[in-house]
Amino acid sequence: MAANIADIGVASEAVRGVRTIDHHPESFNHRPPRYYLLWLMLPAILLLAAISLYPLVWLIYMTLHEVQLAPGKSDVWAGIDNFSRLASDKKFARGWLTLFKYSALCLSVEIGLGVLVAVILNNNRFEKILVTIFLMPMMMAPVIAGFLYMFLYNGTFGWYFWLLQSIGLLESGSILGNKFWAMFAIVATDVWQWTPLIALITLAGLKRVPQEQLEAHMVDGAGPFRNFFSVALPNLYPFLLIAILLRFMDNFRFIDHILIMTGGGPANATKILPTYLFDVSFKFFELGRGAAIAFTLLLLTILLGLALTIVFEDPTRKLRTERED
Amino acid sequence: MASREIVRYRSPLRTALQGLSILFLIFFFVWTVLPLLIMVVSSFKDLLDAFQLPEVGDFGGVGVMFDFKPTGAHYVELFTEKHFGVYLRNSLIASLGSAAVSVSLGSMAAYALSRAEFRGKRDLLFWIISTRMAPVVAVMVPLYVIFRSSGLVGTLPGLILAYTTFNLPFAIWILKGFFDNVPYAIEEAAQCDGCTRWQAFRLIIPLVAPGIGAFIVLCVLFGWNDFLFASIIGSGGAKTLPVATAELVQPVKIQWGMIMAAGVVTTVPMMFLGLLIRRYLVAGLTMGAVRE
Repeated sequence: MAANIADIGVASEAVRGVRTIDHHPESFNHRPPRYYLLWLMLPAILLLAAISLYPLVWLIYMTLHEVQLAPGKSDVWAGIDNFSRLASDKKFARGWLTLFKYSALCLSVEIGLGVLVAVILNNNRFEKILVTIFLMPMMMAPVIAGFLYMFLYNGTFGWYFWLLQSIGLLESGSILGNKFWAMFAIVATDVWQWTPLIALITLAGLKRVPQEQLEAHMVDGAGPFRNFFSVALPNLYPFLLIAILLRFMDNFRFIDHILIMTGGGPANATKILPTYLFDVSFKFFELGRGAAIAFTLLLLTILLGLALTIVFEDPTRKLRTERED
Repeated sequence: MASREIVRYRSPLRTALQGLSILFLIFFFVWTVLPLLIMVVSSFKDLLDAFQLPEVGDFGGVGVMFDFKPTGAHYVELFTEKHFGVYLRNSLIASLGSAAVSVSLGSMAAYALSRAEFRGKRDLLFWIISTRMAPVVAVMVPLYVIFRSSGLVGTLPGLILAYTTFNLPFAIWILKGFFDNVPYAIEEAAQCDGCTRWQAFRLIIPLVAPGIGAFIVLCVLFGWNDFLFASIIGSGGAKTLPVATAELVQPVKIQWGMIMAAGVVTTVPMMFLGLLIRRYLVAGLTMGAVRE
């Protein structure tokens, strides 16, 4: 019997295991497996609770208080003041609007470009090497990407500024200091970093488009466009859905490059809600109000999380069965 | 497998499409690589060369970009005057530490979650994934207050703990997917042969080892690239590379040469790691929803 396990390569453990049973036969399957698995689970769950549930309780406490950071002062009960102040806070409302505008811009450009890249790359001769090259921006820290683009956009020595000037799009002034251009400049940075991810997800999806469907369609006389829109694209929907949800999530998880490039300016044109939250909490140190803003952001996260878990279960199968109904 | 021998007739539309797609690929290639190239090149330029630009509209003058005497001065200055060696070490300790904690605890929990069936499992999983998705700034508000009162702000253990808030749920969630693919029959067989449950668990570790290795690397990557936690929770005693880079921006002048050099130092190791785990990258970055 032990030979079986020796095949897998841990003979010694197996032998020891057999001996243990000889000595304590009553201990075999002594406990129901659930408790054993519970013990395995417990350290991670406890740690996660300590660093996520406990802070959540604190967050809720903070939303109801005026938090004092100075030593010796204790927090003042504020009731729902922190929330009611948000209702009249124009920057808060604008933060949400800007967040959605920013995400919509990022997502539409990224999805468009990403799908295009994936379709062209699919079964291309250079697919492997090009995918590897396109991966590189994703590995970069968003802060570094922010600095790099800040350098490129610079009004006196930036190459992108020069390029925009040369093709006549821009006359003078600065890109990041302009209310209109700053948003696009930041979107471009995000697009540069994350379009490859969308392309990779789409590429994985394209590999799963049933060849038979494509061929049958071609036999019926469909051209390349028709083929893409009626066969490939419907098969891609679940993948694109995942891509959109993940990227939307990351759009407000990471604000590093906005903090670096504009800090939310000029005139709050790029101050998406998380950036505003950062200012309120860690520049003005109004932690109670910050907590209230954070709370509203977390609510959105939970909604997105619900959407994701539904999609995650098994996206392809789910959408397929829905179509067959 | 369906036949691949399809006759594609040449049509003007096809030829045009092919030409356009090649053009687009070239454009996208340049768009992706150019900033990286400029970063690397600028990090080797001294201040005057870095600020050289051709005249507006003078596309022939692009060669200016490569017309310089390479100098390593920025790198030398980074590591001598700006003590980037220390920050490099901090970055390494924080990201490796958090990856080690996350993956070791995470793999046990993932195994248990993969094998156990119990009421509320879905809710537990939902809690885990939403922890991972919570915006870093929002998590940081209460975490900062807690860490401040327990003296963890500005220390490496604090930073490791902070990184664990996103690495641990990531590790649990994604490794659960890996364990789901290992048939339970293997452990059953091992237990029939006299293994204890713990031994049976150890037995299947080699089967998921490549995945575990890849996700250690990904956890390191997430920690390494983080800026928000590092700038608030790590500020002071536990400065990491991204924060140190951001501090090169001084009110009087921005030291671009050094920033570009710091960018290269921060980015290059991660790119190599990215290539190393190329196969798991998409799964890792989509929380396991998409497999290549």
